[in-house]
Amino acid sequence: MAFSFTGILAVLLEFIRPWLGLIVVILVAEVIVLALLVWRNRHRGPIVWRRGFPPACLVGFLAGLAAVLVGPWLTTATFSDLSGLLDYASLIGGAVAAGLVAAALSWPPAVLLRNLGSA
Amino acid sequence: MSNRTPNTPRNAESERPESTSRRDLLKLLGVGSVAAAAGGSILLPSTAHAVKTRARIVIAGSGAAGLAAANRLSRALDGATITVIDRRKEHIYQPGLTLVATGVWRPGKVVDANRRYMPSGVEWLDAMVAEFDPEANRVITDAGQTIPYDYLLVATGLKVDFGAIQGMSPDLIGREGIGCVYDNPDHAERTWQMIDRYVNQGGTGLFTRGPGGIKCAGAPLKVTMLTEDLATRRGRRSDLEMIYNSPSGGLFSQPDMDRFLREEFPSRDIAINWHHRLVGIEPELRRATFATPDGQARLDYDFIHVVPPMRAPDALANSALAWQSGPFADDGDWMEVDQHSMQHQRFPNVFGAGDCVGTPIGKTAASVKAQVPVAVDNMIAAIAERESTSTYDGYTSCPLITRLGRGILVEFDYALNMVPSFPFISPYSEHWVPWVMKDRMLLPAYNAMLRGRI
Repeated sequence: MAFSFTGILAVLLEFIRPWLGLIVVILVAEVIVLALLVWRNRHRGPIVWRRGFPPACLVGFLAGLAAVLVGPWLTTATFSDLSGLLDYASLIGGAVAAGLVAAALSWPPAVLLRNLGSA
Repeated sequence: MSNRTPNTPRNAESERPESTSRRDLLKLLGVGSVAAAAGGSILLPSTAHAVKTRARIVIAGSGAAGLAAANRLSRALDGATITVIDRRKEHIYQPGLTLVATGVWRPGKVVDANRRYMPSGVEWLDAMVAEFDPEANRVITDAGQTIPYDYLLVATGLKVDFGAIQGMSPDLIGREGIGCVYDNPDHAERTWQMIDRYVNQGGTGLFTRGPGGIKCAGAPLKVTMLTEDLATRRGRRSDLEMIYNSPSGGLFSQPDMDRFLREEFPSRDIAINWHHRLVGIEPELRRATFATPDGQARLDYDFIHVVPPMRAPDALANSALAWQSGPFADDGDWMEVDQHSMQHQRFPNVFGAGDCVGTPIGKTAASVKAQVPVAVDNMIAAIAERESTSTYDGYTSCPLITRLGRGILVEFDYALNMVPSFPFISPYSEHWVPWVMKDRMLLPAYNAMLRGRI
């Protein structure tokens, strides 16, 4: 039975629904960090976003690595339960997604911290 | 397919779009485009193409099918009076009961509240349907209320017939080595206590399956395999003798899966008794009686997983809506519907969905997901006096959990052909991904279904 695009979005919405409060808190925190960045740089010219790139990449890499290592355990399974391309590709794909999210979320704080360090 | 429109003065008045909706308002405010890009149609009620009608619609039951239908109808109709009749406040996520019964999930994970999914504008009657009177287009509740309708959707679910097994009662679950995964999380939790004890103490385990149409027919198999897996993980497998008792000559209706299980069970030292239908139990003696082609057989047990036969609830079974003859009448007095349109064959203003209907296969939540849109579309077609075109192909699904961490995503139709939703997931081999879907993704999908979004 095929799932429509909106159907998949609906399932994802239900998936994150228990954590919506936490997600809102994180997003608000990100907005605050961005606002702080803009405020601190109001007299210094444009924000140098690339300064946050290396630490954000590191956080993303570590998050992805952690996702690979604990992914099966989080589902009460073990690595011995994985078999074939489907399972490993899914695990790696999920880890990449987790890494990208972690990198994206850590980027603004990383830029802010490096700005603070150079202040 | 029957396509008559009932003789009612309350069919569709017109199909013109509603003047203003919340979505339109948001668009005016400049937020609509963002909301739409983020899946706004999921978050906002859509009445843009609602059919205007003053039809009185009664939905009997607020289980998976009843709630999904209520949400779909309330969005698709403008002006209809929709009444859901069901006293139950709790909503049980029944596909999760096997995981509760095998100690993987806590019982609270499968308990939700119907009010969270009941659409606004729908009247929710705190009663149960005691009598269906389709000749008079009305139902009578156990509180004595008579509720007339123009259209009826029957989604009562089914009755687990414990009384059909001599000596069996739901009170015995969790005592004397008796378990039963079905019906509610309390049964599943008490079953887990019995399985946990059985695995630790060892002995003979009898695993049964009710004859005929039962809900989630994969559950007895999953309980068997997860018990075996648990014993293996605890290093207790050699102390367990496990026997699966099939009431027929097969293990699974889909032939490829039947073939797989016929090899899987012996390879895991699970013996199979063919044509063994549980008919009686003596809890104090821990002895079960089976009807077999050679007469009755009595088997001693230390643990038994009892799966009673199932049938339509009494109010439905005793009504004119039930099949009056044939295999679905003999099996469980199931509701008579056309197996493709989900429309009653003798009362065309009556539709059915879920466990209560008599169709060749499909007493699963996945079947509900496929049946409800068809029943609702065809009811709306009847209201709008247009030809109904939606058809149900018998789609059903069973994430067959073979051991903790592995499963097979089995999806098939009336023709018993495999119809995988995701072509990259093989329905023929064990993988971790189907387990992840069962453990993590099916509950969100189920909730989206309740809201009528998938």
